[in-house]
Amino acid sequence: MINITGLSKSYNKGSVKAVDNLNMHINHGEIFGFLGPNGAGKTTTIKMMIGLLNPDSGSIIINGHDIQKNPLDAKRSIGYVPDNPDVYDRLTGIEYLNFMADVYEVPADIRKERIKYFLDIFNLSDAASDLIKSYSHGMKQKIVITGALIHDPAVWILDEPMVGLDPKSAHLLKELMRKHCDKGNTVFFSTHVLEVAEKLCDRIGIIHKGKLIAVGTMDELRQGDSAGSLENIFLELTEK
Amino acid sequence: MKKIFTLLKINLNLNFGISALKYRFTREKKKRWEPVLVVLGIIAGVCSMTALYSLMMLGVFNTGLALNQPEIVLTVAFLFGQLMVLIFGIFYVMSMLFFANDLNILVPLPLKPYEVLGSKLAVVMVNEYMTLLPVLLPPVIIYGVGMKQHFFYWVKAIALVLVSPVIPLILDAIFLLVIMRFINVRKNKDLFAILGGIIGILFAVGINVITQRMPKGNEEEFIRNLLLGNIELIELIGSKFPPSIWVTRALSQAGISGVLYLLLFIAVSAFMFVVLMWLANRIFYKGLLAGQEVSRKRKKLTTNEADRQFSRVTSPVVTIFWREWKIIVRTPIYLLNGLSGIIVAPMIIVVMLVSQKSGDMKELFELINQPGAQMVLTLIAIGVVLFTAGMNLVASTAVSREGRTFWISKIIPVSPKQQVMGKFLNSFSVALLGVIIMSVVMAILLELPVIRFIVIVVIGAACSVATTALNLLIDVLRPKLVWNNPQEAMKQNMNGLLGMLISFAIMAILTAAAVPMAVAKLPEWIIYGTVLLICVALSVLSLLGLFAVAEKSYHKLEM
Ligand SMILES: Nc1ncnc2c1ncn2[C@@H]1O[C@H](COP(=O)(O)OP(=O)(O)OP(=O)(O)O)[C@@H](O)[C@H]1O
Ligand SMILES: [Mg+2]
Repeated sequence: MINITGLSKSYNKGSVKAVDNLNMHINHGEIFGFLGPNGAGKTTTIKMMIGLLNPDSGSIIINGHDIQKNPLDAKRSIGYVPDNPDVYDRLTGIEYLNFMADVYEVPADIRKERIKYFLDIFNLSDAASDLIKSYSHGMKQKIVITGALIHDPAVWILDEPMVGLDPKSAHLLKELMRKHCDKGNTVFFSTHVLEVAEKLCDRIGIIHKGKLIAVGTMDELRQGDSAGSLENIFLELTEK
Repeated sequence: MKKIFTLLKINLNLNFGISALKYRFTREKKKRWEPVLVVLGIIAGVCSMTALYSLMMLGVFNTGLALNQPEIVLTVAFLFGQLMVLIFGIFYVMSMLFFANDLNILVPLPLKPYEVLGSKLAVVMVNEYMTLLPVLLPPVIIYGVGMKQHFFYWVKAIALVLVSPVIPLILDAIFLLVIMRFINVRKNKDLFAILGGIIGILFAVGINVITQRMPKGNEEEFIRNLLLGNIELIELIGSKFPPSIWVTRALSQAGISGVLYLLLFIAVSAFMFVVLMWLANRIFYKGLLAGQEVSRKRKKLTTNEADRQFSRVTSPVVTIFWREWKIIVRTPIYLLNGLSGIIVAPMIIVVMLVSQKSGDMKELFELINQPGAQMVLTLIAIGVVLFTAGMNLVASTAVSREGRTFWISKIIPVSPKQQVMGKFLNSFSVALLGVIIMSVVMAILLELPVIRFIVIVVIGAACSVATTALNLLIDVLRPKLVWNNPQEAMKQNMNGLLGMLISFAIMAILTAAAVPMAVAKLPEWIIYGTVLLICVALSVLSLLGLFAVAEKSYHKLEM
């Protein structure tokens, strides 16, 4: 479902190597947790996966489409939530969602159903006709999530999606992720909350200084280390 | 006190973008020429304005000399300068003290309110010097040289010029502090932004009308009459706002009495500063925190309404077209700059032409009744229409305006060509609206028949296709996506300037084609036909160019 090979990216004309020869393969029906210390290269990797940044080298295949060679088809199968919910302040929530539905060409009856569903579970129905400018951080985050999922994409790519969400919304989102993958789809998300990663993810990748230093299921990660908890593994691996 | 200086340093750094400039010069080497060009442009502009203004002040000085009141030039200048600070300072101080983005960071820091307020006000003051120095220095120099003043005059002058913005700014700040305590201005931020913009435009129009009225070659006499007619008014305002009188006396009276007035001026400034700081500690934060809200309806969507909203399915291009319109109309700065060509420019033209009906333009209006003149009038109308269309900033900032939200444009499955198409249609619709309104105004003013009106609109529209496409092309190639408030995207954007230059270049081409034909007395329809043909050719070329670069350029832009 997601195939990353030999991916590299550096900033400032090569002086900062943010992602260094990354190789990852994420399967159908898998929730993949992407961990790493601050500045490890998670956001940089994600931005390349969705076409916000151009890789220096390497390729990314999403749902069978190369994001560089066939960007429109790849983008149609992605739902992306950025780490900062910067959206059009001067549109109302409804207008924003309708805009997203229009650009993803979602038919009227389906968009009606999906928008209502999300506004309802995220408790946004009351605020939907206000300008996004007036939303709280978490409300913005939820409207961005709704906009990203409105076309029912096969692959979800989320950059720290739980940040700023209240416990109920975070729980809902985790449930949505699980359901989505049970249908044979894929979720790729970065996080700093190790408990979430440990409980939710089918597989976990840890990136450190731009290099993938570990990848596998919890069981696979535990091997060679008796200590057991993801926290210990993480701290040990990212020591250097 | 140390804290104030730290704050001041940071504020000044942000204000002039010093760190950003450093980064640009050391890391991103290719953009070096940009700030240099901007600075040169500003210097050129300020110099020409100052030259004209200095001439006027010389006139005032000479008139004063003849009346045996040479110091009137100082009163006029300081009065004008301080009034300017007082009027424009209100909006400036308000945006610095109450609307600045970094207040949310500063307020929680362990700083006293007066420290925050003091540092912010100091930044305003430094900025005011930029506008105040060109206003005050020429008259001070004219008087000093003209009256053969000695060393001590110049020392007093420097002190007074430096202190002069203090009183008006503090008056503004006190006024705002009190107002903010009781009225929730923050809630109506947009309203105030628009109000500020309108006052600015009115000011510009006013200056325009005055300079228009100045008879060429007789400026001195004109100023003399103006001054003589208003001398009582000046004295009246001076007596209501005595600091300008003190300044005048401090400078014009020699010996101890001059020094006393100087000390009086400084003492009053200092006293007001203390009052302000005292007041700041008591009510600054209260007013600031009183209303940090955006107005909202908070009404639940009814099922009916929701159904109607959601079933409005449109194509990506059309939805982008409307997104642009909504954002322009709802952001005061965009509205003011984007639509000013549509509403304000026609107003200025009407005011100028009507007020001139008896003046210089009399000949123009006499033309109306002459048989052969219709063609000249039509060409003039076309020129005016194209000029106002060329001033439009909507196309040349179309991508820049997206700023931080540009990631959305990068991830949606809509090809850059289509996105640019939506933006083009949006910018063109704004331009077209301007062309039509301006054509109506010109046709009515110049009493042109309907058929000529149609010619003006068609040529205006055709030319707008080319200018819109080229302006958009510039912004697609090098958008300014990093900005913190919409003002920067619109006004502090080089692309706006470049876009205007291109529009004027196109006008120059059209003029170069039309004028020789008109002089050669070719049939009218040949002239219009040729101009239209050039417009269409340019339009096709620029649209092809625009769509050719869209894909590659969007791909290159990273977020
Ligand atoms: N726009 C940029 N310009 C220059 N360097 C950048 C830029 N964005 C990121 N970097 C650098 O690239 C590296 C990786 O950053 P990235 O944002 O991918 O980290 P991250 O893993 O998402 O961290 P966090 O957990 O803090 O979100 C860092 O060293 C960072 O300094
Ligand atoms: Mg990150």
